[in-house]
Formats: sequence, structure tokens, C-alpha cells
Amino acid sequence: MGLFEKQFEDNVLTTNVDWLLNWCRLSSIWPMTFGLACCAIEMMAVGCAHHDIDRFGAGAFRASPRQADLMIVAGTVNFKMAERIKRLYDQMPSPKYAIAMGACATGGGPYYKYGYTVVKGVDRVVPVDVYIAGCPPRPEALLEGLMKLQEKIQASSVIRKPIHTV
Amino acid sequence: MSTTKTYEPSISRTEGRPLAGGEREYMIDVRTQDMEVNMGPQHPATHGVMRVLVRADGELITGAQPHLGYLHRCAEKIGESVEWLQYLPYTDRYDYLAAMNNNLGYSMAVEKLMGIEIPRRAMMLRTLCAELNRIGSHLIAIGTYGLDIGAFTPFLYMFREREWMMALFEKICGARLTYSYIRIGGVFNDAPPGWLSEVEAFCDTFEVKWREYYDLLIQNHIFVKRTADIGVITREMALDFGLTGPMLRGSAIDWDLRRDTPYELYDEICKDKAFEIPLASGEKGTLGDCWDRAWVRAMEMMESIKIVRWCLDKIEPGPVIGDIPKTLRIPPGEAYVGIENPRGELGHYVVSDGGKIAVRCRVRGPSFVNLAVLEELMPGALLADTIAIIGSTDIVVGETDR
Amino acid sequence: MNFQGIYDRIRSIQAPGVTGMDEPREPNPQDKKDKGRSGDPYVLVDPQRLPEFLECLRDDPSLKFELMADLTATDPSKEDGYLWINVQLLSLVRKHRLAVKCLLPKENAVMPSSVSVHRGAQWAERECSEMYGITFEGHPDPRNILLPEDWIGHPLRKDYEFPEEYHGISCK
Ligand code: SF4
Repeated sequence: MGLFEKQFEDNVLTTNVDWLLNWCRLSSIWPMTFGLACCAIEMMAVGCAHHDIDRFGAGAFRASPRQADLMIVAGTVNFKMAERIKRLYDQMPSPKYAIAMGACATGGGPYYKYGYTVVKGVDRVVPVDVYIAGCPPRPEALLEGLMKLQEKIQASSVIRKPIHTV
Repeated sequence: MSTTKTYEPSISRTEGRPLAGGEREYMIDVRTQDMEVNMGPQHPATHGVMRVLVRADGELITGAQPHLGYLHRCAEKIGESVEWLQYLPYTDRYDYLAAMNNNLGYSMAVEKLMGIEIPRRAMMLRTLCAELNRIGSHLIAIGTYGLDIGAFTPFLYMFREREWMMALFEKICGARLTYSYIRIGGVFNDAPPGWLSEVEAFCDTFEVKWREYYDLLIQNHIFVKRTADIGVITREMALDFGLTGPMLRGSAIDWDLRRDTPYELYDEICKDKAFEIPLASGEKGTLGDCWDRAWVRAMEMMESIKIVRWCLDKIEPGPVIGDIPKTLRIPPGEAYVGIENPRGELGHYVVSDGGKIAVRCRVRGPSFVNLAVLEELMPGALLADTIAIIGSTDIVVGETDR
Repeated sequence: MNFQGIYDRIRSIQAPGVTGMDEPREPNPQDKKDKGRSGDPYVLVDPQRLPEFLECLRDDPSLKFELMADLTATDPSKEDGYLWINVQLLSLVRKHRLAVKCLLPKENAVMPSSVSVHRGAQWAERECSEMYGITFEGHPDPRNILLPEDWIGHPLRKDYEFPEEYHGISCK
């Protein structure tokens, strides 16, 4: 910290802008209420008192995609719904993230073989950041997935050019 | 998003909207314009992914058209493609709020074809779990109904009890939501030591908490104002549309499959008069309105507790599953079994040709049938009441679309 | 009433369209191939007269099947030339049930709609017609209900082939 060392009062922190912006982003991920099927019930359970997703700053479930940062695709996606998911995802402002919750959203799950209308994974429609296994995943697993997403956000850089694109 | 059908508004502006007490409200002084409001498929209040196309004249709804199929998961095709026992986990997934009841319905249909007897302890555990699951399902039904029309807190309270109930299920079968606990021929395993006394503790606590919910939500003045006199289902309508479950009892039609076509242990339970069937009486408004249906669900939870207590009282040690081979060959034939699911009559129609795989595995989802009444209920209501009406039908989209 | 009683009554009021009935039976011990039949008894009805039949049973004072629990179809096998129409009736007053079955030829799967008798049949018939390709004449709203409007094929037919892709999304 060379230049700034021992220059300020006790309650002043120094950091870099990237870290600060990432910290802001990851501590207030607002998910969109997007319950599709059985997994949505576990998502509701995460939102409630026992598991309390609010501890991670992601408790403000928004009904409108325009106010949301994160799309938790909780459940089975079928062809009729796929186009709507695409549209909703496009409506979300950047930076936006998507979590595929459960076996169905990850890869068709139990409906892989005989489900003629089931999309075999939501990643065929929208890009996915974190996949969560389980049918349905336990609420703890969703929290784990959220923390993984936060790690991912923390590792990204907003101001600096990422090295690999130079 | 276009519709192919144009429907005639069944309420005209000059006719007005019927109010309680035979009066009518006219909207001739306000100049309004027909508009179509599209609700869903992503809408927090439709309990999943359902789309309702509402046609409104100002605030007045003149027509509504539900569009389903956003969660069609081919359950019936899968039933014809996998072996009998393999299909059991899929039954969990169409009505995911009451998975135990679905397991029970499917197992009973297959058992009817096989013509086998179930050990008594297994029947006890089945009844017990199905009733506990009914409580869990109604908790969500009422909780989300409150949430839909603006009461957030009861939802959190109800999930607290539901978490406890899920923990109980987790102890007995290892899953929180999709149990596959009730198997063809019995149940998966015996209750772990101490489980029954935990259920008893749950019942004791729940009875106290139930009172709280009842006063906090069901009797709440705002709740009553939002739901009474709205979405009235008459007796004829209920029969014509084939409604079942709380929708039927909300219109004071005395019908419950548990009592009237008893299955499993319910005839014994009825003989002991261990439970009653709550019937709505139009206490807060018109008979058959949304409040009546919510009230029926609330009262049913207490009746379920009574049945659970009866089971806890009478349960005896014994085997929990018969001698069932891994690969079932079901004798040829066809059977229909309807059981009382939290939402109504859950029917399974299975056809076998004597092989390892079913020929037909039809699921009669109560939500699917109950939802059809929406087209009839909506015209004449106000736009803000759509949510109250949809919520009171208590649908699970997994089951309407299967 | 049990099934025999219901069937006798149907015979005595001469309900339209009844062609027969079938009951479960034990396997014939002489014949090794015969496995018998288990499950529920049912009444066989001519599909073209199903609405009249349902109406007659609904209005008969001692049968009173006022609630149609279910209407569905079955494709028994690829080779079979007939589809089954299965109707489950329920009487709340008399507390009995009845299974009704119709045989509908596959080449010409057209039958009258029962919506005028039980409005609950409306969605069930829509589902049947998209899944099996049955046309219900006189149905007020014959659109697909679960499948998208432009879906090709009837998924619950036994000869259905799974699609390769739909609107650019691969199905494999
Ligand atoms: S992963 Fe399992 S629990 Fe989740 S939506 Fe799919 S079937 Fe339901």
C-alpha cells in the first residue's frame, strides 16, 4: 500500500476499485422469482426463515426481470417455455447470471430419455454460470451454488482489462 | 403470443357486474376500452408457469383463457416406456407438493391389478405419511394464497412448520420433497426408532400453531375482504365441471373419497369417527366463494392431525412390505383408482397386458380438472381479483400439465 | 350399487349405445396361454352415441352419474386397429363408480363431443385429441392444450417418433 500507508484515520479502508465493485455486486445479487417445477419449492424454502438466503444478500426476489441480476432456473424447461426463458433472460440488465438448479435444468434429469417436450438442459437456451446437482437439490446446495457464483464474481475484473483478452 | 379464439364477453357494460344482495354495479359513466392483459407464464402469483389471458373492460374482466403446457413433462408417455417400479419416482414429480399421495395412488392402482394384500403396519404408515403430506400441502396452499394477496408473514410462519414436517420425512425416507416412500406392496422401510414420538410432538405443536394461523390469516379482516364474495362456484357448476376436493366442499357438497369410497384404513377410521369432513357454509359471504375454499383447507389440516393421531394410537409392530420381486409382471387387465389428494380426486388408470411395462398409465390430475372452472369464474370479477381466484383453486402446475 | 346392479339398471332403462360389458375373470386352468383379466369391470359403449349415453346415466334417478371424473384414451398396441376411449363416472349421491369404454377405429378417429353433457370434458377432450389425434365433433374450442400449437404428431400413439429438433433446439 506504499503511498497510503499510515496516512488516514482508523476507520478508513483502502482497497482497489475492482474489488469494491465486485464486492457490491456479489453482496446484493437479486434473483428473479422463476420457479418452474418441483425445484421451485426448494427455492421457496431457501427464501424462508430456516435457510434464509438473505444472509448472502440474495433474498430480494424480484418479479420483474428488469430488476434482477440472477436467474435461478429452478425446474424443468420445455420447448413451450424455452422461448420465454430466452426472452426473460434478454430482458435482464447486465451483468446477469444464471444458475441451473436441479437435474432437469442441468441436463433434462429424469426426463432425458422419454421426455419428448423437455429441453435437455437450459444451457441450450441461455448461458449458465453455475450448475447445481440434485433432484431436487437441498436448500444447502442452492446456497453453495450461490457462494460459488459469488466466488466467480469476485474473480472477475470490472476496470482492468482481463489478461486473456489482451 | 396470439390467440386463435376470440371470445364473446359474457358481461356487457350495460348489464353491469352483479354484487352481493342482487344489486348490480354499472360502469356506464366511465369510458373504458377493451384490453387484453397477459398474465404469466412467469408470474409470481400463478403458482408456477401458467398463463392466463385476461380480457378486461376497464377494471372489469370480460373473459379469461388459461393457457397450459409450460411444464408438460410427458409423464404419461414415460409411464408407458419404463417398468412398473421405475415409474414410481415420476409420480412424485407431478404433484410435488403432495408426493406421498401420488405414490399411494399409483401403488394402489398397481396393487389392484395384482390383487395383493398389504401388511397392516404398512397401511398405517401409508395413511400417516399421506395425511402428514396433506398438511404440508395445505400449508403451502394457504401460505402462498396469503402471499398472493399481500400477506407475507403467514407464509414464513407456515414454512417453519413445513420445514419440520420435511425433516420428519427426511428421517423416514431420506428425501425432502420427492419421497418415493410408498412402494408397490407396502412402504420402503420401517419408521426409524423414535420417529413416531417425533410425529406426536409435531402434532402437539402444530395444533397450537394452527390456531395462530387461523386467527392471523383466515379470520383476518383484510383477508376476508379480499376473498369473500369473490369467485363463487355454485353447486351445479361444481358438478358440471367435475370439481373434486376442497373446491367441491367449498361449495358445501358433502363428498370426500376417504369416507365415501374408503380405501386403505379409512373405513376403520370412519367407523371410529376419528375425523370429520369440514363443509363450507358461506360464513363470510356467499357460499362457494374464495374464502370458503381457503377455510376448508385450513380446517382439513386439523382433521388430518386427528387421523395422524389415530394412526399413532393404533400402530403395531409388523412387516412393512410384502414379497415383491424386482421386476414386476402385472396380470393383464385395467384398473382405475381414485384417492383423495389434497387437491381432489387423484386418479390413476393403469392398463397392463401382462408384461413388464404398462400399456397405459393415465393420471387424472385434480388440478387439471379444477382449473377448467377458471374460464367460467373470471368474467364479472375485477382485475385485482384474478389473483385471489387463481390462488383459491390451489393448482400445482406440475399436475395440470403433467 | 355394485357393478352388476348398475349394469342391470342400464339394460332395463335401455341406455343408448350399450354394446356389452366385461368383467374380470380367473385364468382358465386348462388353457396355459390364458392369464385371465384383473381390475375393474366396464361397460362397452358405441363411441358415436357416448354423449347420449352419458346424458341418460346422468339423468336417471337411480344411477345419477352426475360427475365425470375422467375421460381419456388408450392406444393398446401398434398393431391394434382401435383406440379405446375410457370414461370414469362417479355418482356423489349413490356413491358408486362406473368405467365406460368405447372402441374407436384408428383410421377414422372421429366421435361426438360430450361437452354439452359434462362441461368438465372440455379440457380432457382437448388433451385426448392432441395426444391421440381424435377429432371431437362439436367441441367448442378444439386447440392444443398442453403441446405447442405447431407440434407435429400425436405423442401418446404407440407409433409416435420423437422429434429431432424443435424451433432450433435439438432434442437429443
Ligand atoms: S430436478 Fe427433479 S425436483 Fe427438480 S424440477 Fe427436475 S424433476 Fe423436479
